[in-house]
Amino acid sequence: MSKNLSELSFRKGMEENLFESMGIAARKEGSPGKDDLDRLAQEFLIGKSSVYGAASFYDFLKEENKGKQVYVCNGTACVCAGKQGQVQAALHHHFRAEQIGHMTCLGRCHENAAFHYRGKNYSGSAFEHVEAIMRKEDPGHDSYHVGQLGPALLTVPSSGLDGVHSVLQSALKQGRDWALGEIKTAQIRGRGGAGFPMGFKLESCQQAKSEVKFIVCNADEGDPGAYSDRYLLEQQAHLVLAGMMVAGFITGAEWGILYIRAEYPEAVIQVQSAIDEIRKAGYLGKQILGSNFSFDLKIIQAQGAYICGEETALISSIEGQRPEVRTRPPFPTQAGLFNKPTVVNNVETLAAIPAILGLGGAYYASLGTEKSKGTKLVSLDSFFRKPGIYEVEMGTPLAQVLEDLGGGFKEAVKALQIGGPLGGLVPVSKIRDLTLDYESFSQQGFLLGHASVVCIPREFPMIDFLEHLMDFAQYESCGKCFPCRLGTKRGHEMLKAAKEGQATIARELFDDLLDTLQQGSLCAHGGGIPLPVRNALQYFSEELKPYFHS
Amino acid sequence: MSTTQPGLFASFNGKTHAFLPGETILQFVRRIEGDNLIPTLCDAPNLDPFGSCRVCSVEVGLSADGPRKTMASCHTPVANGYHIHTSTPAIQKLRKNIIELVLTDHPLECLTCEVNGNCELQTVAAKVGIREVRYPAGEDHLDRTKDLSHPYMRSDFSKCINCYRCVRACDEVQGQFVLSMAGRGFDSHIVKDQNVSFNESDCVSCGACAQACPTAAISDVFQSKANNAEAITRTICNYCGVGCNLEVSSTNGEILSIQAPFDAEVNQGHTCLKGRFAFQFYKHPDRITDPLIKRNGVFEKATWDEAYDYIAVRFQSYIKDFGPDSIAGISSARCTNEENYLMQKFFRAVVRTNNIDGCARVCHSPTALGMQRTFGTGAATNSIEDLKHTNCILVIGANPTAGHPVTGAKLKQFAMKSGNVSIVIDPRRTDLAKYATYHLPIRPGTNVAVLNMMLYYIIAENLADQHFIESRTDGFEDFKQHVLNVDIAQMEAVCGVDRELVRQAAMAYAKAPNAMSFHGLGVTEHSQGTFTVVQIADLAMLTGNIGRKGVGVNPLRGQNNVQGLADMGVQPHQGAGYLDVTNDDVNRIYNEFYGVEVPKHIGYKIPEMFNAAIEGKLKAMWIMGEDVVQTDPNTNKVKKALNNLDLFVVQELFMTETAKLADVILPGASFLEKSGTFTNGERRIQRVNKVVDPIGNSKPDGQIVIDLMNRMGYPQPDYTPEGMLAEISQIVPFFAGVTWENLGINGKQWPVNPDGTDTKILHEESFKKGKGHFLFHPFKESNEIVKHGKEYPFILTTNRDLEHYNSGVQTRRTANVEINTEDLLWIHPEDAAEHGIRDGDKVCVESPRGKVDIRAWVTDGVKRGVLSTTFHFPEIMVNLVTSDEHCSESMCPEYKVVAVRIRKSKGQFAERSLV
Repeated sequence: MSKNLSELSFRKGMEENLFESMGIAARKEGSPGKDDLDRLAQEFLIGKSSVYGAASFYDFLKEENKGKQVYVCNGTACVCAGKQGQVQAALHHHFRAEQIGHMTCLGRCHENAAFHYRGKNYSGSAFEHVEAIMRKEDPGHDSYHVGQLGPALLTVPSSGLDGVHSVLQSALKQGRDWALGEIKTAQIRGRGGAGFPMGFKLESCQQAKSEVKFIVCNADEGDPGAYSDRYLLEQQAHLVLAGMMVAGFITGAEWGILYIRAEYPEAVIQVQSAIDEIRKAGYLGKQILGSNFSFDLKIIQAQGAYICGEETALISSIEGQRPEVRTRPPFPTQAGLFNKPTVVNNVETLAAIPAILGLGGAYYASLGTEKSKGTKLVSLDSFFRKPGIYEVEMGTPLAQVLEDLGGGFKEAVKALQIGGPLGGLVPVSKIRDLTLDYESFSQQGFLLGHASVVCIPREFPMIDFLEHLMDFAQYESCGKCFPCRLGTKRGHEMLKAAKEGQATIARELFDDLLDTLQQGSLCAHGGGIPLPVRNALQYFSEELKPYFHS
Repeated sequence: MSTTQPGLFASFNGKTHAFLPGETILQFVRRIEGDNLIPTLCDAPNLDPFGSCRVCSVEVGLSADGPRKTMASCHTPVANGYHIHTSTPAIQKLRKNIIELVLTDHPLECLTCEVNGNCELQTVAAKVGIREVRYPAGEDHLDRTKDLSHPYMRSDFSKCINCYRCVRACDEVQGQFVLSMAGRGFDSHIVKDQNVSFNESDCVSCGACAQACPTAAISDVFQSKANNAEAITRTICNYCGVGCNLEVSSTNGEILSIQAPFDAEVNQGHTCLKGRFAFQFYKHPDRITDPLIKRNGVFEKATWDEAYDYIAVRFQSYIKDFGPDSIAGISSARCTNEENYLMQKFFRAVVRTNNIDGCARVCHSPTALGMQRTFGTGAATNSIEDLKHTNCILVIGANPTAGHPVTGAKLKQFAMKSGNVSIVIDPRRTDLAKYATYHLPIRPGTNVAVLNMMLYYIIAENLADQHFIESRTDGFEDFKQHVLNVDIAQMEAVCGVDRELVRQAAMAYAKAPNAMSFHGLGVTEHSQGTFTVVQIADLAMLTGNIGRKGVGVNPLRGQNNVQGLADMGVQPHQGAGYLDVTNDDVNRIYNEFYGVEVPKHIGYKIPEMFNAAIEGKLKAMWIMGEDVVQTDPNTNKVKKALNNLDLFVVQELFMTETAKLADVILPGASFLEKSGTFTNGERRIQRVNKVVDPIGNSKPDGQIVIDLMNRMGYPQPDYTPEGMLAEISQIVPFFAGVTWENLGINGKQWPVNPDGTDTKILHEESFKKGKGHFLFHPFKESNEIVKHGKEYPFILTTNRDLEHYNSGVQTRRTANVEINTEDLLWIHPEDAAEHGIRDGDKVCVESPRGKVDIRAWVTDGVKRGVLSTTFHFPEIMVNLVTSDEHCSESMCPEYKVVAVRIRKSKGQFAERSLV
């Protein structure tokens, strides 16, 4: 990251955003033109290389994206479901090969066979109706179950604008210290995966001295298998927005920015309409509800890069820099977006704020386990009888979630990947040992992460799964740190050669590589990928044995 | 430098040490144990921690035997009670495994690589003990092609290890953003602009990337990282007044390349393309290698004895027949302090005249005078490092990113940060102006108007620092009344900048806790130059911005040693140490010191010398290292004066436009061929060390002066910097504690006390003259505009480009000329359209003095009615059009306001119009 680029990018404020301008410039052809980039460099007083370097990072801005018409999902759930070949075949009837790209996880894990065409996502049997879709006759709606085990805090029927009003009203009336106190009492930990206490972040940002601060909603739900944030953005946007406003009120931030991934076009539409509604009601802008609190909201649409889910990469992305992971300190709450104090929280964390303020922090803290409070959304994929989004109290036995809510597996499954590509690989035999909370997963050598559950069918070769994982890791590596940039690439090359029967892997070298990634990587991307690989090597050692030599 | 605070302790490898607040683990360990324990690749001394290579990883525990975590030491701050382990088996293995991965995508052709033996990857690989690369062959980037497009810069990204040091240097040091990473993951690769070659890019050739690169992925044509030099000599750059320290590599008396040392306080490992790359002039075939005497209009080679005799005999006869004042000298800001001291001593003690002047006359003489009148000392009050302590910069009439590139880069870095305030007053939208919080694009020649507006607003809005004014200054009440009577509407109309913008800038300057001003020749080279300097001093006193870190008045001195030239007494009214030659006590001191009677009446300033020559009063001149024909205004007049002399001696490196007119040419030595000291713009006296012997029969300029002193009967020992400094320190009060030895590698800032302690900030407790003195001056339109403005409606202002230095006599004899090939005329698009001029057309620019043809560059960087160009190329000879107008106080010429008219060239002046 560059401090200078952060500063220069902010010269035009939030109204004219460099990254957004790159996206707009790419609309016509799929990649911004050379002249567009030169113009942006000149307008923002930055280098031509700065804009070119940033644009070339993103799947949907880079030159190779030019001319792409349709994108096939290659997320883990779709890969495991095994229908993407059929989707590709169906699309090839209507598109030339160079017009077909791919997107990694459209969040249609519950229906699979997903693809994206002209700003809309399709899944399930939609690939059988490509012609209708191209004639705009197929609405592309999906459906999934939503349910609870325990209290419904995030999955309550939406109270819309009234809900926003009452949350705001009570916060404004009782003050920022009260609101922060409730959140601290609730002991809610960040739901994005890292599990960092939210109250701590808010307090740190509140205490940072700066006239300008930001609340950023990390809606870059890139983990294949996870679509709970998509649910919240599309169905419960008011909860998320109200949570951001409260966070702004607590910290003194006057801008709330939602960084929503390009792969979720419907979410962008839903959130924008909620923002418009809130604005129309007079809850945004200067001196909201007669108070001294001023706040505004803006959506920044991402352009296709998994690493942007990492908060410092996300910050650089909004600034129009290359979204490479930053070193810490400084932490974002001290110097984040545009070098200003910034709280970055996941969608689900922010969406919990209305419930925490409404029902009380003490109530929230009474739910769950000692170190995992409240409720958690779980995403179940299409291998379950009842795929969907389920809200469960922390500490609930995993088996209960999968069976009582998900209705059990439709077909034979040998393992679950829980918590995204960097989450652990849980063999079905271990399901009974786990409860849904941070501690249990960690003790058993797994990771709760964002609590997405992707099933690996019995017949799916584990070597193929590992090759897929490492391919994802190398494709999405930002490239900044040496271990991840080179290690994921070499790891993928070795797994690919093994999968294709060209060579076996030297086990000692492979273990060294996993150690190097885990200990040496700058962020959890390279640092996290060894976990599922090691789980596989442990629990599926027999199956994987032929692919390794000592 | 922060110091340790009680209670901050951490240990590494079992030993406990105090650490500094904010220190990283890497800094902590290296401060105590040196570079040996922790290898790094992406870390660099002048760049922020980045954390990409991870080779610096260490283990950290919170207790001696407790659990440990692996952390990158370069960006992890030390915390109290840390137990750091730098070299455990696991850490050693991790480092080795990382380097092994790097080598899977790096050519293993070390023996034929430019940086063999001086490659950081090679060093680290050896250190971690790599013996094999175990990975099966995979995808790599070894087929990337080299970029050989640029006169200086080279890249070969097959050797790139993606450490980002070049990208960060281009950003954090130079602020140019030419380099970036592009693509992502394994495909990440360095690009220049939008993936073009160095030559096509916006690269300013500073070379910071090449110096930063740990391998040979970015390098330069001189292969400055190659390991084949016999000797590395540290010296000082001879271009601008920043005073960059250079490390010159040489073998067999040949200079190979130049780099910038990181431990240099002035430039911290940075320099510009002039300092780093423009050195080959020293052995250019055009160098004058023997004394030349013109006989029958033709220069003939002569021996030194012949040349000395020729000169000495004639000088002596002019002294006898016409008196000492019939001879005058111009000394050189390019030469050392010692040489300048000798030159003025020659004129004062040998010829016995005060007719000695230097190029400060045509650049910063108003600065010296204006600051003497207000503060008592005509030199920068503060240091460039104070940029770290200031909140606001006010940059007036200076284009530092071109003229003073290393300081310019620092100012640009400052201006890019949103918390800082930067104010640029300049007719042109300079690179710095683009980044400034406030840019006041005044009409050239109206500095006094706009500064009086600023002074007015600060007083009117009660932002004056009453405490400072009362305790440290006098003359304020009178000054205040004058300022409050300024007609704002009239001044607004005069300078052409909206009064609200001026007010905002004034408020910002006054409200900043610390504000620093910088000014250049856009302040001084005006008919009201001295008055403008006085106003800048007024602004600083009015707001209490004097006498501490991060404030003050800081002239950006033009030439490498223009500060030293004046310090050494190269002025007709002040002798060595700025002592008044007319003062009886001073005269006594000089008489005693030089052992002869020196004159007490003020001598000729440079323009007066030319007038006296035309009038026949001046018989002989000796100019050392100054091309007055190309650089002084009104070329035809200068030539007329020089042609009218009986004897004209020029001491030079090259056959300049001035040298062509000489009767005798004495071949001097370049800065690479001699030792001595230069004093930079922040009063820092630094050691210049000889790298190679003077070429041919040329001699160090100081030795030439001494030879002539001896020849004319004045005993002066041979030239050595030690010996000269010993003499100078006895007569120049602020050099009292200077010795060649104690200057060390980073020099000393004068005044240097007898005990050797130096001075970073002037006027801390009181001004040199006791109380600072407020002076008011009303705006007066330049005579140039009053007399010629109607007939010649455009204003031409002259300035300098990055690639060339003044007359270009050196830089045009390097590859810089391939980057910047000619002087260009900035012209506003509407003015151009009105005159049918397109980009690249030749424009005939005509003033009452003459006309020149210059190629147009159509740009809105100037306002309508304003033109701007440089004077680097004798083919254009821009000074044919500049005027005789000069500063009313200091006689500094008004290069910045020239009344001209323009038309698209018909071609008859397309070639040089010199007769």
